[in-house]
Amino acid sequence: MSERSGGQPARGGARALEGVRVVDLSWVRAGPWGTRILGTLGAEVIKVEWPAPGSVHHNDRYTNTGRPEHIEPNLNNSHWFSEKNVNKRSVTLNLRNLRGRELLKRLIAVSDVVIENFTSRVMQRWELGYEQLREIKQDIIYVSLSALGHTGRDHPYRTYGPSAQALSGMTFLSGLPGEPPAGWGWSYLDDTGGIYGAIAVMTALHHRHVTGRGQHVDLSQVGSGIALAGAAILDATVNGRPMRREGFPPGNRTHWPGTPLLDNYRGPLVAPHNAYRTAPGGYNDWCAIVCRDDEQWSALAGVMGDPEWARASRFAANDGRVAHQEDLDHQIEAWTQTLEKYELAERCQAAGVPAMPVQSNEDRVTRDPQLRHRGMFTELPHAGLGPMGYQNLPFRASATGTTSRRAAPLIGEHNREVLCGLLGLSAEELGEGYRDGSIWPDDLPIEPYLEAEAAAGSGAAS
Amino acid sequence: MTAGGPLADLRVVELAGEQGQWCGRLLADLGADVIKVEPPGGAPERRVGPYHHDEPHPDRSLSFWHYNSGKRGITLDIESAEGGPMLRRLVAGADVFLETQPPGRLAALGLGPDELRSADPRLIYCSLTPFGQDGPWRDFQTTDLVQLAAGGQMAQCGYDEEDNPDAPPIAPGGGNAWHIGCHFALVAISAAIVYRDMSGEGQHLDVSIHEACSLTTESAIPTYFSTGRVVRRQTGRHSAWSMPRPRTQYLCKDGTYINAMFNQRISPERVRIFAEWMDEYGAAADLLDERYRDAQVVEESQEHIADVLHAFFPQVTAEEACRGAQERGLPWGAVRSVDEILADPHWEDRGYWVDVEHPELGDSFRYPGSWGLYSDSPLAITRRAPLVGEHTAEVLAEIGLDAGEIESLRAAGAI
Repeated sequence: MSERSGGQPARGGARALEGVRVVDLSWVRAGPWGTRILGTLGAEVIKVEWPAPGSVHHNDRYTNTGRPEHIEPNLNNSHWFSEKNVNKRSVTLNLRNLRGRELLKRLIAVSDVVIENFTSRVMQRWELGYEQLREIKQDIIYVSLSALGHTGRDHPYRTYGPSAQALSGMTFLSGLPGEPPAGWGWSYLDDTGGIYGAIAVMTALHHRHVTGRGQHVDLSQVGSGIALAGAAILDATVNGRPMRREGFPPGNRTHWPGTPLLDNYRGPLVAPHNAYRTAPGGYNDWCAIVCRDDEQWSALAGVMGDPEWARASRFAANDGRVAHQEDLDHQIEAWTQTLEKYELAERCQAAGVPAMPVQSNEDRVTRDPQLRHRGMFTELPHAGLGPMGYQNLPFRASATGTTSRRAAPLIGEHNREVLCGLLGLSAEELGEGYRDGSIWPDDLPIEPYLEAEAAAGSGAAS
Repeated sequence: MTAGGPLADLRVVELAGEQGQWCGRLLADLGADVIKVEPPGGAPERRVGPYHHDEPHPDRSLSFWHYNSGKRGITLDIESAEGGPMLRRLVAGADVFLETQPPGRLAALGLGPDELRSADPRLIYCSLTPFGQDGPWRDFQTTDLVQLAAGGQMAQCGYDEEDNPDAPPIAPGGGNAWHIGCHFALVAISAAIVYRDMSGEGQHLDVSIHEACSLTTESAIPTYFSTGRVVRRQTGRHSAWSMPRPRTQYLCKDGTYINAMFNQRISPERVRIFAEWMDEYGAAADLLDERYRDAQVVEESQEHIADVLHAFFPQVTAEEACRGAQERGLPWGAVRSVDEILADPHWEDRGYWVDVEHPELGDSFRYPGSWGLYSDSPLAITRRAPLVGEHTAEVLAEIGLDAGEIESLRAAGAI
């Protein structure tokens, strides 16, 4: 694992969003993914959590996905949590408690951005809707990220990534014809929703720079997804063509043989355009190969050693290859199964044929020479997890940094720094918050590293 | 409220193909004046179907319409003697230059980031390419499918082995490697805009679609780092290394599907809510039993609960199932095609659809439009995608060319 090399911060580790303070009320995936981006870009992201046992925040930190096996779960040792919360600070506040909410308001008053991904009416219930936020901080930028948005008749809908994908049309785009939708093997619209959240914050910051005014940006995860099926939507609104039709979705192909010859929203209708089994035949031993024109096809034939079958006239032109894909793919796969996937892709690429191995998560970390060269991963220390690999942002910027710098905060790690240092609470007031249920849940043991500040003013402290 | 989106004061020059046109479209939605530079005769993306009334024509590609609405378009041969300097002049008046040329090509033409940025240090020069500007795979040829293979998407999408042992890894359609790259290009550009507001400086952004795809696989990479496990594909739900997870996608009465995900922490309260609902159809099986009030029992009964749901859903349509679930606070969703989405009045309520005028066809068409509601700087699709070369004369005049100069460029074949 290497630190990101070229394009490193030019001047003392400058970050694009330095000086921007974000109050992060988000949880689970979409919101935290957005604030992870903002934090890596240099914003001061203050993650507000309430880790009462059984709560979403508590469960989120306990998620077993990505926890080293044989480790007893606690609030500070899920790598899954740590990876999606790099470059943030953690403050614990009970927002159902008047005093907890009062502290939140004081925090908002000295911040630039509030972001959340609750269901649509939670903030109003807490009297923290946009109008109230404006009263606290006149030029606040408020980004809400909900399933269907804050307006429209179905605004109360709740989703997880997979059901958001279902409602947006994204799930339907994935699969083999005549089979159930294959869908997406992760919460694509949580990732995407978070990215739009970050974009909304930054574009609203520019607008504030120009006009002096903040605003509310009401994002809908499902709405962001629908636009990604835009060509299919126009095919419906312009041509009246339904997506539920024979041959759709066409697997990895641009068209499924034996079905009406229609465009299927994945670029030009060409063949070959598929994933092929490779040696030695393991679970992820596949390689995607595409020939976009006759020139690439002859190049591929050359890589295959100009076999007799490839000279058949039915394969000479693209239309024939599209029409005879079953035969074509069968023949190609007989060849690909003789080669290892990286070797295969490199041979194709050397001849100018687009081909890449299907890479698993392990492949990308351990075998992918490009991600390694570009410094996509960084190892960071963490008090609960030890040193672990983390992902960086997928771009370099010549003047500002894009690497992850700090693993996720421990729960409540920045209570004193933020509540005393930034908001001016006395040590005694902070300690009181641990006892009155506004800063720490009654039914949760206090973490050892918080014991001293929690004891302040109780008489137990020295 | 101001007219125009949050980037209404900015001008963008886009020299982008299929990899980058969505980023330009989003910038146009956000209010920027986006000038798309195409080769004479028009961009290859104009030859991607489907077409208006299925008639192939460079001005009738629906894909091109979608990805290029809100932009102005000029044609320019950047390799010609006159074209290069003209692009330089155009970029000199712009805030952002977005390009998807093969690495090194623009530098060879004297239009690289160092050259253009030394002329204008405020310029944000964004290069969006398959693998970034350096590295062993820099010059590899890709397509959307090929990127989704390398990026990790395919290894995570597909079918349970027991259902479909011969199925390949599946790349979801719709051009999502390009979307993912464009989303991160827009992140990079937006951050650079904020940085420029504070520092007065632009910069060069080197965005890799491969890195963007690899980052957009949720828990896969953290799973490997923390457990060393390879994730496996499952029909209609998250890939995972601990297999199998209960199914989440169920066939309904109308032959379509619902995604009814419930995770291991589903509460007894939730089980009771959907059991009571299913009981109205006589399909609750034993789920109303007292024993399901125990969280431990619920967690251990996930497979059984999935079987009960599997038997229940064929009694209702997917839309009925979706509405019934949402009315009960269950986060489930129908697997919709665009037809059902277009019929859903919620999006109408939200002003999501935009009817875009196509004067050249004497018609207007419904586009997906407002992906975000900005209260002080609303998004808009200000115009349909440009016809080939539609704004060449207009834009060249804006950068100070007179009619004679434009005519001589035309005569030289540069535009």
